[in-house]
Amino acid sequence: MSGGFNRLLGAVVRIDVREIAFEQGARRFVAGVGSGVILSKDGLVLTNAHVASPHAVEISITLPSLERVGAKLVGWDHWTDLALIRLDPDELQRRHLTFQTASFGNSDALFPGQTVYAVGTPYGLTRTVTKGIISNSRRYFEDVEGVRGYETGAFNTWLQTDAAINPGNSGGPLVTEDGKVIGINSRGFVGADNLGFAIPANVARRIVAGLVAEGTIVRSYIGLVPGTLQDLERFYALALNTGVLISSVDPGSPAARAGLRGGDILLAIDSKATDGRFPEQLPPIQNQIASLPVGSTVVLGIKRSGLTLTVPVVTERLESRVGEEWAFEKWGLSVRKVSRAYARENQLDDATGVIVIGVQPGYPAAVAGLAAGDVVTRVDQQPLGTLDVMKAIYQRFEAKAEPLLVEARRERRVTLYVLKP
Amino acid sequence: MRRPHLIRPAQSWAGILRIAALALAALAALRSAELPDLFAERVKSCATVEFLVETELERQPVTALGVCIDDEGTLILQSSVIGARVAVRQLKDFKVYLPDSAVSGGGEYLGQDVLTGWHFVRAEPRLRASLVPVTRWVRADAPEPRLTDEVWGIGLRAKDEDFRSYFLMGRIGLIQPMPQLTAIAGSEIGGPGLPVFNRDGAFVGLGLNSFGQNFLMFSRRERGQPVVLVNVEETSVFLFAREVVPYLGRRPRDVSGRPLPWLGAFGLEPVDPEVARFLKLENQAALVVSEVLEGSPAEKAGIRGHDIIVALDGRPLPRLKPDSVVAAFLEREIDRRLPGDEFPLAVLRGTQRLEFKVVLGDEPRIIREADRRYFEKIGFTVREFLYGDGVARRVRAAERAGVIVDFVKPNSPAAMAGLAADDWIREIDGREIRTCAEAFAALAALEGDPQRLEFVALTSRGTDTAVRRVKLK
Repeated sequence: MSGGFNRLLGAVVRIDVREIAFEQGARRFVAGVGSGVILSKDGLVLTNAHVASPHAVEISITLPSLERVGAKLVGWDHWTDLALIRLDPDELQRRHLTFQTASFGNSDALFPGQTVYAVGTPYGLTRTVTKGIISNSRRYFEDVEGVRGYETGAFNTWLQTDAAINPGNSGGPLVTEDGKVIGINSRGFVGADNLGFAIPANVARRIVAGLVAEGTIVRSYIGLVPGTLQDLERFYALALNTGVLISSVDPGSPAARAGLRGGDILLAIDSKATDGRFPEQLPPIQNQIASLPVGSTVVLGIKRSGLTLTVPVVTERLESRVGEEWAFEKWGLSVRKVSRAYARENQLDDATGVIVIGVQPGYPAAVAGLAAGDVVTRVDQQPLGTLDVMKAIYQRFEAKAEPLLVEARRERRVTLYVLKP
Repeated sequence: MRRPHLIRPAQSWAGILRIAALALAALAALRSAELPDLFAERVKSCATVEFLVETELERQPVTALGVCIDDEGTLILQSSVIGARVAVRQLKDFKVYLPDSAVSGGGEYLGQDVLTGWHFVRAEPRLRASLVPVTRWVRADAPEPRLTDEVWGIGLRAKDEDFRSYFLMGRIGLIQPMPQLTAIAGSEIGGPGLPVFNRDGAFVGLGLNSFGQNFLMFSRRERGQPVVLVNVEETSVFLFAREVVPYLGRRPRDVSGRPLPWLGAFGLEPVDPEVARFLKLENQAALVVSEVLEGSPAEKAGIRGHDIIVALDGRPLPRLKPDSVVAAFLEREIDRRLPGDEFPLAVLRGTQRLEFKVVLGDEPRIIREADRRYFEKIGFTVREFLYGDGVARRVRAAERAGVIVDFVKPNSPAAMAGLAADDWIREIDGREIRTCAEAFAALAALEGDPQRLEFVALTSRGTDTAVRRVKLK
């Protein structure tokens, strides 16, 4: 192999993560293993968001030299399934640990049939190299709960490869023969043979820059759900390769407030013509909207039954449907805040309340009758606008345990419960 | 000439004794009647009713047990024998079969009563002489059944056995208001929908659908899979006569079953005893109103979502078990009344107790009443957008338009386009559809145009909207 490839091997690490899970009404620790690639001399390691998330309480990196070193999360972005961690600089210095760094190649230049290698720690087998080809360089798939319940895939296409990718390969690099990182291996189809997917390096490069600068990736949201025109152009009397079908509009979103609706055709974004004839053309269009500054006005060119309209829409910040999680252990209740996106998706009036994600049998919440999926809207007559409201009530309960009235919705039915000490 | 005089208890012990003696003699005569004789007489109150439910693709035969309630050959059938979505015009070819014979005749569907849920069917005149109204076995002086009493009833076999009648008997193991007074026997005591008698042959109740029973199912591969079994031919559950006899006159005015009294409080959820105690509602039940429906009588009266109903007609809601029976109690109290009647409710809102004089309305059109039409070439049925569709989809009244897909024929153009039952069609070929008539006209025109290759429908499913292309050729 090339010298570049050998250097690359010196930059691939194993990542052991211990993280907190708010399951069944308690705080529990779960452990996982993944791969990563070192990008810089100061110890930045790129991996998957589903390997290292903000839930992580302990991250331990095994360097190619087999030395172990601690690390901290810099930031994550579940939309692209990428996370950035940093090796503990003091430890590196103290122990004089050394490693190689990898560099990105140009993922846009990849072609189907090109030989690629996946490097990582499948099933904990450190420094495993598998070989394959690029099967498809622009695969589109979206998964609303693909990264541990978080959304992924709306803003990027994926590299598809037949290089064997197994659990534990996650976060490891997909590289060319010269050792350039052209993707971050992320997932495979369970039960299928050699259908693996990686995030393209050109996407990763952008996300890394954003995470280093701000620790997070801020995106804009207007609430359009795009669909492909495929062969509907004739019906809409459109020239070929023009426009995106607006498949639906999130209720209550900026686009809905601006009067857009399913069945409209999006012709242009800020005067730039759109072309969303095929599925793989949708992520760049989504990303174009997501890249707008939050709170800015975007002018959409819309076609609706023969009319062409220009519709200004003010963007808002993109939020996950997965809200902050917490466990109230004396109640045996773990919850997740209702997010704006969750409220819209489930046609709730607003984002008040928390979703029950688990209860501990025999504890007050379970005894009262609460169950996973319930949306708790009030405790002690107080609407749960934020998780802090609930935390404050819990603190008072810890200080002085008294029965509390809880109001929750299951489906659309409102039920009252009493949490008893 | 002696003047006839009234026998007053205080004046004539002899008279009383004479009446008592007569009664005892009658009772003795009844007691002495052998069960086979009682059975032979009472089986004449029972019949099997067969009819067809016609759908777009097939005619589904349904068989149900019925009991005769008057001299005009009127039979009542249990609520569950006809699904809530089935329109009256889909019901065809009613036939009435008498037990133990090949004798049958036509029947006429008279409609469903909202309070009891019973379907009323009238047998053709020729059969009436052979049917004996169950009211003949009603004894005003018959004691109500008690725990451990022996009761019996009639089962009817299927058509290929000439609806042979057979005898079933059991002892009452449990008596419970649900909210109607209901008894559960230790074994099957009759067919669902058929009468139940005491040892003396007096009518004591009407068989309900059997309850599910929990079993574990063992097989070679699996160990102890829990299953629920329901006996559909026989039942061990019956409604007390006092919950039946007063309502036998509730034959619907017409086949539509209208009027339907309506409150418009959605999702009545009972509070459990812990919560009731917390709310200082001792020894009574309460119901949380999950939502108040737009434009409903409840909304007009000022009731709001999350209000807790604590009293009706000035009386606290009764404690009933299981808790969910309380909601059934209130529904029944609505159904007992008519649109325009007052329905005085007291609710808790926060710590405040408020009184409301709700005036019940007539329920908006329900699914079985919906206008619908089948389009054979497209392969689907569409129906009008009902009030209930707006509720289910959380659509404000002002935005209610379009039509609902009621049925999609497998592998038809509609199915290939991805349409499914309950999809909401808002536009056809880019034209907004406001009413059912507009949709019918547009779809008929599409089907009638031999040049048409395809059309496009804008549809919603849940919160998703999609454009579906239906290829006609």
